[in-house]
Formats: sequence, structure tokens, C-alpha cells
Amino acid sequence: MQKLRKIFQFIFLAPLFIVPILNLLEIYFIKGTYISLDVGGLSISDPVAVLQALFISHSVRPIMLASIAIPAIIVVFFGRVWCSWACPYYLMLDGFEKLRKKLKLKPLKPKYNPEIKRKANISRLGIFITGLIIVGILGIPLMYLISPPSIMSSQAVLLIKYAYITAEFILLPVLVIIEFFFGYRIWCRYICPTGTCLSLMQSKFSMYVEYSGDCSKCQKCIHVCPMILDPKTDSLSSACNNCGECISACPDNKKRPTLYFKSH
Amino acid sequence: MSIWEEIKNTLNNFPIKSSYQINRMRPPGSCDEEMFMKLCVRCARCVEACPYRVLRRSSATKNGEIGTPYIYADIAGCQLCMKCTSVCPTGAIDSSTVEMQQVAIGVARINEDTCMNYLYSKVESGEIEATGSMALCNSCLNSCPLREEAIYLKDGIIPTITEKCTGCGLCVERCPIKPVKAIAVIPKGMPDAETAGYFHYLKRLGK
Repeated sequence: MQKLRKIFQFIFLAPLFIVPILNLLEIYFIKGTYISLDVGGLSISDPVAVLQALFISHSVRPIMLASIAIPAIIVVFFGRVWCSWACPYYLMLDGFEKLRKKLKLKPLKPKYNPEIKRKANISRLGIFITGLIIVGILGIPLMYLISPPSIMSSQAVLLIKYAYITAEFILLPVLVIIEFFFGYRIWCRYICPTGTCLSLMQSKFSMYVEYSGDCSKCQKCIHVCPMILDPKTDSLSSACNNCGECISACPDNKKRPTLYFKSH
Repeated sequence: MSIWEEIKNTLNNFPIKSSYQINRMRPPGSCDEEMFMKLCVRCARCVEACPYRVLRRSSATKNGEIGTPYIYADIAGCQLCMKCTSVCPTGAIDSSTVEMQQVAIGVARINEDTCMNYLYSKVESGEIEATGSMALCNSCLNSCPLREEAIYLKDGIIPTITEKCTGCGLCVERCPIKPVKAIAVIPKGMPDAETAGYFHYLKRLGK
């Protein structure tokens, strides 16, 4: 399953390169960035961006609702899968983790601890709400400025089409340094507004990791969880992004189902 | 006192989200500046859709306009191909804009003191003395996509802009006068656009 996840991640990484190249060839079939992607006539937008625009412009336009329909349906049925199965930033962090292992650097991953988990959840929600308040006061949808995937893609387009970049690019090198040298998935666990928004859109229909209650308690699932959760108890946590690492890592799973995806 | 006035001004004109600049327009079909700043999610789709590389992503951090699309008429004017109007995911650019006649992103203004044709007519009528050679140019007329509608030659010599001007900025791109072009586009919503106009404003400043 982890192979399938990698394939998905690379498929969703492709627009980062394909869109600017198609643009250079004057093909406008696929256009946009990770804020809002457009394939033919189909429009898929980041819910955070659209909700901000809706929130401050006090107007609902059919085109806005149409463009968040697909993300909303995916979240309602599959949970926060965007983060682990598609987000290019998450893929980069996966790469950093592997690279650190190869370079034999000390792993940055903290030990599982309910306190860390709680802090991360509070921090993420707090930043999302504070962000919304600031956006509301200023009246400008500013949260795009702190969305690494969208910065990556918009700057890629600019760099290739116009050979210049804009000031928001500065966030990327800063984050890369922090994530590589100082912390473990700091952005995803403590800050990301998009992830928070997606987790808020989860419903009781959403897919989650089910624990059968009967295993050898080897704690491997806790060890592999990238969001520092205990998959046995935290399957409904807003931090879980259904990456399935725990399911693949579980040694008991080969004999009988202990951890598995379940949807209602 | 002046600091107090400044604070008062800033707070009362808050949010600071409508900044204008001569020769810098929004994409065709955009809603008014304040609404545009609220609706634009900076996804850069219109920037990508522009086949003439005219729409650019703003890099200026002033007033939160970073990331929003602009046409810089000094560099290149909009060809009014209407490719960008249909791609906006939030409606900041109105997708019902399909004809170039519908576009109103600004109004062009001619500087009567430097435009060659104006100088020519002034010399002809004896207002001023000719120094050196004289020439007629008509670049603005020839570059206008709505020739004879938005711009026409009054008395066969003086280029005159009507209210049908879309503000595309092609005339600015082509104007040969250096270093400051003799024609400029005042973006829609810019204060003083109708009442005074840019060049009158400059005159008042004494430039």
C-alpha cells in the first residue's frame, strides 16, 4: 500500500512540472496551481483559499462552490487523504526523513506522547482561527502566503514563464532548513491551515483506521506514525491523515486484520 | 498632531486594499479593486492562461497586493483575447466578459504637451514655434483594437479618446515618446481619473 501511496504522491507532484511546461508549449488544457487547478473545464480549489474569499467578500458565487465540491467529497468519504497521498510538501518531508537516514543523521522524530499530540492539535487549530481573524480584519485572503504547495507551484510557473519570482518564495528555503535540520514535520503537525481545514471537514462517513483490539502490542505502529499518534486509539484524531503507514508496518496484520481502513 | 492625523487616516481608510498606479491595470473583466482584492485567491491561473505573457504576478508587498495579477502597460498592453476571464475560480474576474467592447479596466489619457500630433497642430495654428523637425505619429490610433471607436483623429490630426476606451494599454506600449510616454492608462477606480486625469495631476504637482 505504501508503494501505491508513493505513486499517488508522484502523480500529484507532476502538475508542478507539467503545468509550466505545457504553458510554454502554449497548451492551456491543464492550468493553475495547487491553490486552484483546472483540468479542461473541471476546477478543483483549495478549500481554505475559497473559504477565505467567501468569508471576506460576503458573497457566495456558484463557481466557488463548484470548485470545492470535489475536495469536499473526497474529504467526506476518505478523510484527510490530500495530506499524505497527494501533498508535494509531504512528499518532500518523506524524502527528508529518508535522506537523514541515509546520511546517518540522528532522527528528529520525537517519542509518542499524548502531550505533544494535544499541543500540535491546539497549535494547528489556533493558527487557523487566528489566521481567519487576521484575514477578516485585513480583508485580504492572506493565508495563501503560508501554503508551501501553492507557493511551490506558483513560483514554478513564474520562474519558467517569466523568469522571476515573487517575495512569498522566501518561506520555502526557511521551511526546508527548519524541516531538515531542526524539527520533525513541524509544518504539517503544528501549522498547516489547509490540513486543519480539511480535518474540520471530516464527517462520520470519513474513512479511518480501525483497530480490532487484539494484537501483540509491539508498538510498531506508534513508531512509524508520521504524525506522532497512537493508531490504536487516535484513529479519529484530526491529525490522522490516513497515510496507512501503521497498517503496512503492523506485523500481526499479515495473519489477521488488526489495523485496517474502515468507512461507515 | 500629524502622527495623530496619520493614524486616523490609516484606520479610517482601513483595510488598505486599494492601491492604484498609472499604467497598471487588473485583467479584463475584473470587478472593482476592493472586491478584487477580497476575491482574488492568488492562484495564478489567469497568469498562466495569458498567451501573450502580459498578465504578471505582482511582487509588491504594499497593501497586500502581492500575488495578484496585473497588466503593466509600460511593458506590454493587453491584447483583449479574453482567455483569462473564464478561468477565475472565485469570480474575481467576471467570466461573462467575452467581447472586447465589454472591457473597462481603465481609460487612456494623452499628454498634450509631449504628444507629437498635438505639438504639430499647435505649430500649425501658430501657438508655438517649431524647433527642429516635426512629425506625425498616430501610433496610438494604429495600435488601438477599437480603432475609430475608442480613439479617432479629430480634424484628421489630433488623437482623441472617447469613453469607449477599454484601457487595454496597447497604445501605451507602442507610444514612441521617451523617456515618459505621451499616453498613459488610468486604471478603473483610480481617484481623479475622470475629474482631473493623470497629467493634470502631474501639472498641479509642478512636474
